[in-house]
Amino acid sequence: MASKAFEVSAPARAQERSPWLTRARKESIVTWVGLAFFLIIALFPIVIMLVTSFKQAGDLISVQTPPLWFHKWPTFAHYTYLFKQTKFLTWAWNTIVISFFTVVITLILAVPAAYALARLHFPNAENFGIGIFLTYLVPPALLFLPLTIILSRYVNLIDTKWALVVVYPTFTTPFCVWLLMGFFKTIPIEVEEAARVDGCSRLQAILRVVLPLSIPGLLTVAIFAFTLGMQEYIYALTFISNSLEKPVTIGVTSDLIRGDEYFWGELMAGALLAGIPVAILYNFFLDHFVEGISQGAIK
Amino acid sequence: MRRMVRGEAAFGYLLMAPVIIYLALLLLYPLLLSVWFSLTDASTGQPFGSWVGLKNFTDVWSNETFRLALRNSFIFTFGSEIGKAILGTVLAFLLLRRFRGKKVLRALLVLPWTVPVALTTLGWLLLFDPTFSMLNRTTSAIGFPYHPNWLGEPVPAMIAIMMANIWRGFPFSAIILLAGLTSVPPEILESAALDGCGFLRRFHYIIVPMIAPILFIGLLFDLVFSFTDLSVVYLLTRGGPENTTHILPELAYQNGIQGGDLAQGAAISLFMLPVFVVACVIMLRILRRREI
Repeated sequence: MASKAFEVSAPARAQERSPWLTRARKESIVTWVGLAFFLIIALFPIVIMLVTSFKQAGDLISVQTPPLWFHKWPTFAHYTYLFKQTKFLTWAWNTIVISFFTVVITLILAVPAAYALARLHFPNAENFGIGIFLTYLVPPALLFLPLTIILSRYVNLIDTKWALVVVYPTFTTPFCVWLLMGFFKTIPIEVEEAARVDGCSRLQAILRVVLPLSIPGLLTVAIFAFTLGMQEYIYALTFISNSLEKPVTIGVTSDLIRGDEYFWGELMAGALLAGIPVAILYNFFLDHFVEGISQGAIK
Repeated sequence: MRRMVRGEAAFGYLLMAPVIIYLALLLLYPLLLSVWFSLTDASTGQPFGSWVGLKNFTDVWSNETFRLALRNSFIFTFGSEIGKAILGTVLAFLLLRRFRGKKVLRALLVLPWTVPVALTTLGWLLLFDPTFSMLNRTTSAIGFPYHPNWLGEPVPAMIAIMMANIWRGFPFSAIILLAGLTSVPPEILESAALDGCGFLRRFHYIIVPMIAPILFIGLLFDLVFSFTDLSVVYLLTRGGPENTTHILPELAYQNGIQGGDLAQGAAISLFMLPVFVVACVIMLRILRRREI
C-alpha cells in the first residue's frame, strides 16, 4: 500500500494529498514548528532553573545523567533552606518597600508634569516634553559613581534601601510622564470644561474629574514603575552592601554565591520566586510600554 | 484674556517644577559631577581631589584592558543587536499569524525579557558552568559538536555573554517590530496590492517607511541599554578570563567602586557619553519630525 503511493505520478499525488494538506494546514504547521522552536529557546534556561531548584544535591552533581530530568526524587530542601537559612524574605520585603515608594514618588512627580504637558499652553512646553523623554535615555551606568558620592556625602542614605527609593524615580519618571501625557490627552477637554462651568477651580477639576477618569492610566504607570523598581540591578549593586537592606535581585545574586561556592539549588529557587511575579506584572504592562514607545514615533 | 494665559503659563511651570527640580538634582547634577571627578584625582575615600586635567583620560586610553573593554563593548552591543534583530524579526512575523492560545504563548515567549535580567543570568551561569555544563551536556545529547569551556576561554566567553544578552533581548525586538507591523493599516496594503504593487515594493514603499520610526525608537532604546548594562557581563564573567571580556560599564564599576578609583571610573564611564549623545540626537530628529 505504502509503496504504491510512490508509483503515482507527481501531479496525481498532489491531487490525492490536497484534501488533507490544505494551504491553511500547511500554514498552521509552519506556525507551530516556528513557535515550538522559539518556545524551546525562550524556556530552556528557565526550565533548567526550575528543575535545578527541585533537585537533590547528589542529583545535581552527577554529570553523567541528562540535566533536564530528575534521577532522584525532587526535593523542597532548597526552598526551605531559602526561607529558613537565608534572608530571602527580608530581601523580598525590601524589594516591595522600595518599589512601593518608587511608585509613590514617581506619581507625585509625573502626574502634574504630564497634565501640564498634555493640557496647558506655556512657552517651551514641547521642549520640556522632549527633554523629559530624552532623560529616559540617560543610562544608570553614567550616574552610579557620582550618585554613590552624593548619597554618602551629601545625605547619609548610602547602604540603606532609602538610597534606592530616592534614585529609582530618575528612570521611572521620564517614561511615566510620557505615558500619562498620552492618557490625559485621550480625556475629552469638554469634560473638564463642563466641570469648570459648574464652578470647579482648575485644580478641583483635575482632582475630581480628570484623575478619576485616568485611573486605568495611573494604574498602568504604577505597575510600570513597580516592575522597573523590582528589576533594577546596577544601583542596588553599587549602593547596598548591608545584607539586611538588599533588594531581592542583589540578595540572591550576591549572598548565595560565597567566593567559589555556589548554592545552585537555592540560587535557582530564589531567582524564580523573585522573578516570576515580576514577569507576570510586566506582562500586564507590556502592551502599554510598546504603546508609549510608538507614541513617541507617530503620535 | 492675556492675564488668563499668563496664569496658565504660571500654573504650567508650577506643575512642571517638581519633576524638573528632581531631575536636575539627581540626573543633571550627578552627570556634571562625574565630569568633574574625571578631571581630578578623586577616590571614593577622597571624592573631592585636586585637578589633574585630562590625565585620567590619557591614562585610561593607554591602558590595554580599557581598550579591549571599549572594543568589547561595541562587539557585545552590535553582535547582540544583530542576533536580536534576526530572532526578533522571525518571531514577530510568527506572532502576526493567527493561532490558538496566543496570549499564553506570548506570555511564555517574552519571559526572557520580563524576568529580571540579573536573575535569569543566574540560569545562564549554571548553563555555562564548567563543572555542570548543562549547556554542553544538552548540546552533546543532540549531537552538536562545539563544547568549549564557555566562561574559561576568551572567545567562547564573549560568545557566551552575547548569547545570554541576545536571549534576554530578542522578545523585546519582536514585540516592538510587531507593534510597527500592526500599525500599518491593512487597507493601505490591500489597495496597494490592487494597484499592482508586488510584495517587495509594498515592503519598501509602505511597510518600511511606516514602521521605521517605531523601529528606530525601539532600536535606540535597546542600543543604549545594551551598551550600558553591566549585569550580564558582571554576573557571568566579571571581565574574565584574564580581562578579555570587560565592557565599559562593568569596568567602570570594578575600577570606580570596587577599586575605589573614582576618577578613573568616571573617565571610563564618560566614554559611553558619545553613544548616548548620538542616540539623543537621532531620537530628537524623530520626535521633531512627527510634528509635521
